[in-house]
Order: sequence, then structure tokens, then C-alpha cells
Amino acid sequence: MAEVLGTFEQAVLLAVLRLRSGAYGRAILNDVSARLDRDVAAGAVHATLVRLEQKGLLSSEIGPGTEVRAGRPRRYYRLDPSGVRALNDAHAAVNTLWRGFKWPLKGHA
Amino acid sequence: MNTATPPRWADAVLRVLLAPEDRQTVSGDLLEEYRESIHPARGRRRADLWYLIQVAGFAWRANRTWAGLLGGAFVARTAVDWLLPTADFHARSTVSTTVSAGIFVWAGLLAAWRTRSLRAGAVAGIATALIGAVISMVGAALLLAIWHDAPTFAAIDGSGGLGEVFTLPVMLVVPGALLGALGGLLGGTGRRLASHRH
Repeated sequence: MAEVLGTFEQAVLLAVLRLRSGAYGRAILNDVSARLDRDVAAGAVHATLVRLEQKGLLSSEIGPGTEVRAGRPRRYYRLDPSGVRALNDAHAAVNTLWRGFKWPLKGHA
Repeated sequence: MNTATPPRWADAVLRVLLAPEDRQTVSGDLLEEYRESIHPARGRRRADLWYLIQVAGFAWRANRTWAGLLGGAFVARTAVDWLLPTADFHARSTVSTTVSAGIFVWAGLLAAWRTRSLRAGAVAGIATALIGAVISMVGAALLLAIWHDAPTFAAIDGSGGLGEVFTLPVMLVVPGALLGALGGLLGGTGRRLASHRH
């Protein structure tokens, strides 16, 4: 099995998957914040997107800007097949760890 | 449409911190979030603060390694001065100064190489100095919490006093900017030469 993704990496990749054609920086930031239920720094999301793209799990392309962005373009991300594999591996790794336990755990706290 | 604008200088710093291919897209993302979500919900002052925190986050991520090394070097020097008192600080000062200058130049060089911007070197020097100062002050406070007996206070007085420990790191912002700019010049020139070769 390849290197398992961290929780934040999974949150970013799943945001890209969930947002489909609307997966650009700000939308991903808001989706990750909502899913993790906390304020997330734009720099953390940006650094993760750059890292995941360098790993070949994501690819991106530039789209047009809008007036509210002062015409600055958006960078749209999409999951590559290796990104889908990495998410499947991460899910399988968690399932393997939990095998034999019933969730939620009771009585051992 | 909301046309509120975050502090211009913060936007300029953000752009300097980013690689050329991310400059427009990432600053656009932050501007869009600022105008559509943060400013309407929190008002001007708190929205500006949010923007500054975001920019500080980018500065932290870009410079934390060098700032950590600088802060660590300061804490190590402080510990040596307090625990191994001496009357001759020349050798220690030479080592500290050389290490600090090397960190600033290297931080500036790598920042300019990554962003292809000469100004990035100076910004990296300033950010490294500021973050390093915070690390150094926290480290010195921890040392003081552990060692606060009479011999340690005598060593502190003999090495410049507590004032120097807590103010000197902050005073490195100006030399940090200059040395970072020098590193930026080296990194920017090196990057240009490397790209000409290819």
C-alpha cells in the first residue's frame, strides 16, 4: 500500500471530489472548514493543494476571474486517478484498523 | 457588489510570498472570501484582521524553518551565557552573528529562488526575524522559569541583562531585512542564470 494520506489531505481531496467542476481555492477552503468544523487557514489549504499536485494526486487549470476578485483568475482542481486510489487506500487503512470493533466504543473510557 | 479592499500593503506582502503561478489565483481567492463572506459578516476592522492573519499564515509557512533555527540559536546562546558564564564574549558573539547572518541570507536566497522575486528576500528576512524573536523570547522565558537562582541571575547580569535577551531578537528585523535582501539578490540572480542555461 502506498503512503497513507493524512486527515487534512483527505479533507482537501474529498472537497475537490465533492465540488466537482467548482473546485477552486476559496470553495475548497470553505468546504474543508465546514467538514472539519473549524476555521482553516487559507495558507494551509494552499500548501496542501500544492503538495498533492506535486505528488500527482491532483491536477489544475486556470479559469477566468470575476469582478469580485478584481479580475484575478481562479485555479480549478480535479482529482487524478492516483488521487482516487490514494483516497480508497486511506479509507481501506482506516477500515482495517477498526476491524473487529463496534463503533461507537463503549465501556473502556 | 462589495468593493471593500483589504490593506494594500498586506496584499502586496501576500503576493511577494507566493510563487508567480499562484500570485493572482491565491490573492484572488482571499479577496473573494474577504468581500463576499468575511467583510459583510464581521465588518471592516475584523475583516482586515482576518486578512492579516491569513497573510501571516502564509509568511509562517514560508519561513518557519529558518525562524525556528534562528530562535533556536538565540535560545542556545542564552542558555550557554547563563549556565556557562564567561567574561570574554567575543567567540560566542562571532558564532551567533555568523549563524544569524547565514540564516537570513539563506532564507532570502531560497525565498527569491522559489518566488522569482527579489523583494521576497527582504520579506523572508523580516518574517524570519519576527517569528524567530517570538520563539527566542518564549525560549528565554522557559529558561528563566527553570533556572532562576542567584548564580544564574549573576550570569544574566554579566551577559547584558534580561533586557538584552528580550529586546535584541526584535532589533534584528532591520539587519534581517538587509541580509534577506542580499540573499534575495543572490537567489534571484542564480535563478535567472539557471533558467538562461535551460
